[in-house]
Amino acid sequence: MTEVAQGSTTGVDESPQPAARGHVPGDSSMWFFVIGDLLIFGVYFVGYMYFRGQNHELFLAGQAQLNLDIGAVNTVVLLTSSLFVALGVAAARAGNRADALRRFWIALAFGAAFPLLKMFEWIPEISRGLTPGKDLFFMYYYVMTGMHLCHVALGLVILCFVIRNVKVSQVPKISLVETGATYWHMVDVLWLVLFALLYLMR
Amino acid sequence: MTSLIRNPLTIVWALLTTVTIVSSLIALDGGASHQINTTVTTVVLLIAAVKAFLVIWHFMEVRRAPVWLKLTTSGWVLALFALLLGFYFASL
Repeated sequence: MTEVAQGSTTGVDESPQPAARGHVPGDSSMWFFVIGDLLIFGVYFVGYMYFRGQNHELFLAGQAQLNLDIGAVNTVVLLTSSLFVALGVAAARAGNRADALRRFWIALAFGAAFPLLKMFEWIPEISRGLTPGKDLFFMYYYVMTGMHLCHVALGLVILCFVIRNVKVSQVPKISLVETGATYWHMVDVLWLVLFALLYLMR
Repeated sequence: MTSLIRNPLTIVWALLTTVTIVSSLIALDGGASHQINTTVTTVVLLIAAVKAFLVIWHFMEVRRAPVWLKLTTSGWVLALFALLLGFYFASL
């Protein structure tokens, strides 16, 4: 378990602080969880594609009802949140706690915008009768984005722990910071696939 | 501030954001009629694969990770998108 040196807490680090080569970012058990989660979601994604192939018209009609604008904005929101997490990890590794903290707060703010935007998407859809029971497309849509949203919620809680660790500890545990970051980026990766499958493909 | 802009991570983010906008425009333009469109589907899925890989490689720092992690994560991206495109084209 690596720990950062007690360094300066002011100023911006001039270069990214790369991890050493051959270094597993964060706890190995988190990576087993992440890979397991990627495989489980992978099965859902392929299942979606299989059932879509049985009835293209139904899925295309469902997609036409979705709000592509919010989907695209939410993609950029998660990417931006991920960027600030990655920048925060670099700052924490450089021993720059003030910058790390600021960047993790920004990441948390962007991350929190995701479920908020999701509500602006879901509520009008549900009130228009586009519920999970409508058809197979909407069942997949709500189950997959709902499961993803649970991951976002857990990711936000984990980010709070990362912030607490950087804020409270004189010497923040870098492995905890990296473990939290790994989980958050996985949430981002899953959304990138969901966005293409649900909103973009034809 | 300039150091943040020139940071390789920020450059990766700019690339990710740009291709997100490009793929949305492709879906809005070529996919506006909501008909089967193999070109739109192939392009947006390939873009998504590249995006997923970039996040894993740069943000998750897998590019500096041990070989087993590089292989597992890139293998996931490759296998997933090969299956997705395979099932899509097989169903047409």
